[in-house]
Amino acid sequence: MLTKKICMLGAFAVGKTSLVKQYVYSIFSDDYLTTVGVKISKKNIAVNGVDMNLVLWDMEGRDAYTDVNISYLRGAMGFFVVADGTRRDTLDAALQLRAAALDVTGPIPHCLLINKADLAPEWQVTREDVDRMRNDEGLTTFATCAKTGQSVEESFRTLAEAML
Amino acid sequence: MTPSPDPAEPRAPAPEHTGDTSPAEDTRADKEIERLRTLLFHRELLLLEQLRARLDSPDARAGDVGSVLAEALVLSSREDDRLKMAMEPLVDRIVKESLRDNPHEFSESLFPLMGPSIRKSIAESFHAMLESFSKSMETAFSWKGIRWRLESLRTGKPFSEVVLLHTLVYRVDAVYFIHSATGISLASVMNEGTQSGDSDMVSAMLTAIQDFVNDCLADGKKEDLDLLRQGEYTLLVERRPAAYLACVLRGAPPADYRAHMRACLEYLVMEYAGQLANFKGDTGPFAASRPRLEKLLGSRFVDEDKPLPVWIKLLVAALIAACPGAAGYVFYRHRENAARAAEDAERRRSFRADMLAAVDLLRREPGLLVIHAAEQPAGDTPSSTASAASPGNSGQNRDTPQEGATGEAASPAAPTAAASLSDHTGQGPAAPPEQASAKASLDAGTPWKVVCLKDRLARTPEEVLREHGKDASLFSFTLIPYVSYEPDMVSKRVDLSIQPPENVSMRFDDGIIYLSGTAPMHWTLEARRKALTLPGVKDVDIRGLSDPRSARLAAMIQEVQGASVEFPLGKDVPVPEDMPKLTHLVDTLAAVQRLAAEMGMAVSLTIYGHADAVGSVARNYDISQARAKVIAAMLYARGSGMPLALYGLGADYARKSEGPDQSSRRIELRVHLSPSVVPELDFINH
Repeated sequence: MLTKKICMLGAFAVGKTSLVKQYVYSIFSDDYLTTVGVKISKKNIAVNGVDMNLVLWDMEGRDAYTDVNISYLRGAMGFFVVADGTRRDTLDAALQLRAAALDVTGPIPHCLLINKADLAPEWQVTREDVDRMRNDEGLTTFATCAKTGQSVEESFRTLAEAML
Repeated sequence: MTPSPDPAEPRAPAPEHTGDTSPAEDTRADKEIERLRTLLFHRELLLLEQLRARLDSPDARAGDVGSVLAEALVLSSREDDRLKMAMEPLVDRIVKESLRDNPHEFSESLFPLMGPSIRKSIAESFHAMLESFSKSMETAFSWKGIRWRLESLRTGKPFSEVVLLHTLVYRVDAVYFIHSATGISLASVMNEGTQSGDSDMVSAMLTAIQDFVNDCLADGKKEDLDLLRQGEYTLLVERRPAAYLACVLRGAPPADYRAHMRACLEYLVMEYAGQLANFKGDTGPFAASRPRLEKLLGSRFVDEDKPLPVWIKLLVAALIAACPGAAGYVFYRHRENAARAAEDAERRRSFRADMLAAVDLLRREPGLLVIHAAEQPAGDTPSSTASAASPGNSGQNRDTPQEGATGEAASPAAPTAAASLSDHTGQGPAAPPEQASAKASLDAGTPWKVVCLKDRLARTPEEVLREHGKDASLFSFTLIPYVSYEPDMVSKRVDLSIQPPENVSMRFDDGIIYLSGTAPMHWTLEARRKALTLPGVKDVDIRGLSDPRSARLAAMIQEVQGASVEFPLGKDVPVPEDMPKLTHLVDTLAAVQRLAAEMGMAVSLTIYGHADAVGSVARNYDISQARAKVIAAMLYARGSGMPLALYGLGADYARKSEGPDQSSRRIELRVHLSPSVVPELDFINH
C-alpha cells in the first residue's frame, strides 16, 4: 500500500477546506484547523491499478498570505495551491506560497486550483492569467468548484498519478 | 628433508657491485649466505610453510572456525544482541523458504510438537473462560462487585470498563511506528478490544501536534514531545531522526517500559535503515515489523488475592459503626443543600428574567441598537470590557461597571434576599444603594455584557435603565457610534439643526419634513437647506409655512405689473395725466425693493417699451426703447440700485394693428425676485 502526504496551501477563505470536504469524508473535527493550524483527512483511491492512501494536510490560510507553517510541509510528496478566482490577490499569494513550499520540499508534483468556478462572471482572474501560468510557469491548473464538485476529483487524481 | 629456498621468500639485498669484485665472485657469495640462513632458521621456515598450507586450504580453515564457533556464539550473545539481530532475518528467510519447499516434511516434523501445543492452548482457553466466569460470579455478588455495578450505573460506563479501571495497573492499547518526516504510519498494532482512529490519520495528526508544540513552545530550540497525557490515557513517544514510536497506554507502565520502546525502535531503525532513508510512501516492507511492535503491547492487573491490611479492616469497621449518624447528618445536609439549590436556581432565574427585561428596554429605545447581550464570561471583568468602548462614551462606561465590581467588596451589609432589579428604588440603608443592589444581584448571577450601536442624540443605556428603576451597574456596555434612521432620531436631529421658532410646527413622515405656521422667509429657506443635508431626510415640505409680509409684497408687485403708463404719439414723455401714476409706480417699486430685502430676497426689474403701428419699424423700436429708458432714468434719479433690463419692442405688441393708438404706446414692468420659493409669490416668475 502506498501512502502519500499531500498539503493544501492557499490564502484565507479560498475554499481549501471545502475542496477537501467535497473530496473526502473527514473524520477529525474542523476545530483542529483553528487550534493546531492543520486538519488531517484521508482518502483511499486506486490509480493505475495501484492502491493509494492520500493523507491530506489542510493547512490554515492566514491573513498574512505567505506566512505558512514550514514544519507542516516537511515530508510532503505533493501539494495543491488554492486561489479564489474572484479575488486576484489570492492568486499572487498562491504563487508566493508555491515558491515557499518548493523551497522546503524540493521539486515535487503540485497543482494550482482556482476555486469558485460557479462564480465565473465575477472572476478577477482572467483566462490570460491562467494561460500564462500554464505556458510560462508550466503549472498544472484546474478551475474547481467546491460547491458543485467541478474538477475536484479530476485534480486529486491528476496529482496522485504524478506522485506514482 | 631440507626445504628448498622459496623464490618468494624475502631475500637480503644483494650487495651492489662496486667494481672491486667480479660477477662470478658475487654469485658464490649469495649461495653461501643462503646456505647460512637455512642452517640458522630451519625450524621457523618449516612452521611458516605449514601455516601457509593451512591458510590456503578451505577445508582446514572451516575446521578451525567450526572448533571455536560455539564458544564464539556464546561469547557474542553475552555481550549484546548484534549477532542475534544479524541472524534473525537469515534464519527467518531460511525457515520460510524451507517451509515453502517442503511443507509436508515440516508438518510431519511439527505434528508431535503442535498436537500437545494445540491441546494445551485449548485447555488454557477453557481455564481462562472458567476463571473469568468465576470472577464475574464473584464480582457480581460481592460487596465490591455491587459497588462497581453502582459506579457503572452512576457514571454510565460499561461494567467491564469499571472493573478494568479498578484492577488495571497498566495496559498498552496501541503502538504506532511512524515515519518522522512525513508523519505516515509505517505499521501499527492494537490491543484486542481497543477502538482507535485510522492509524494514518492518528499518526499524521500526532506529527502535526508535535510540530505545533515544537513551533510554539520549544522557544526556537529543537526539542521533541515525549509525553502526552489526557485523563487516564498517556501517550509515550520515543524518537529517532528517521522514525518514532508512539505508545498509547492506560495506567502506570513499568519503569523500564521506555527502555523497551527504545530498544525496539533502535532495532527497527537499524533493520529498516534503507527503506526509511528512501521512503516514498510504500508501507508494504514495514508490515514485517508488526511482531516486534506487538511485544510492546502488554498489560498488568492488580493482585486480587492480596488480603487487606488490618488497619484498613479496622477503619472499615469504624466507618460502618459510624454509618447511622453519618447517614442522618448526610440526609440533613442533603435536605439543606437541596433547599438552598432550589433557592439559588429561583434567584438565578429571576435575575436572568430581570436582565432580559432590562435588555428589552434598551432594544425599544430609539437610537440604540443592541447587537449582543449575554452573560459576561468568567474572568472578563466589566472594566476591561468597557475599555473597548468608543472614546466618546468610554469614560462613563468605564466608571459604571467598576462600581459594580468594587461594590461587592465595599458594601458591608448587602441584603441577603435575591434583589430583583425592578425592586431597586435607590433607598439603601448604609451602603450606597446601587452597590448594595449590585452585590445582591451579582450573588444571583454574573454581570452581563451588552454591545450596542448608539446614535449621538440617543440617550445612554444607563439613562434608559435608570429611568425605569433598573440597576445599570450590572451591565458592562460597549457603545459603537452610528447614525440612526429611526423617525424619532431623524426628527430630533432636524429639530436640533433648524431650531424652529415658536409659531412653526414640524412633522416627520416617511422621510419628509413638513413645516407649517408662519416664519420669515429667510429662515424658511435656511431651514430647508439645513434639513436637506441631514441623514434620513428625503425632502422638506414648506408649503404650510407663510411669511406675514408675503401678501403685502405680492399686492405691491401685482400693482406694479398691472400699471400702464401711456405716451403721446412720437414722444418718450408720458401723457400728462399719467405723470402722477408714473411717480407712484416708482415709489411702489422702491417699497417693493425694501420689503423684499427685509424678507431676504433681491429684486430685479424688466421694463418693456411699446409703440403703436404708426411710423416705420425702426423708428418704432427707437421710440419704444426711449420710453423704457425714461422709467429707468426716473428709478436711477430716485437712487434705486435695482438691476434693470430694458427692451424696446416697437409695435410688435401693439394693441391695434393699424393707425394711431395711445393704449399701444405704453410701458410694462415685470418684477423678478431671487430666490422665490414662497408659494404666494410663485406667480412672479411665471
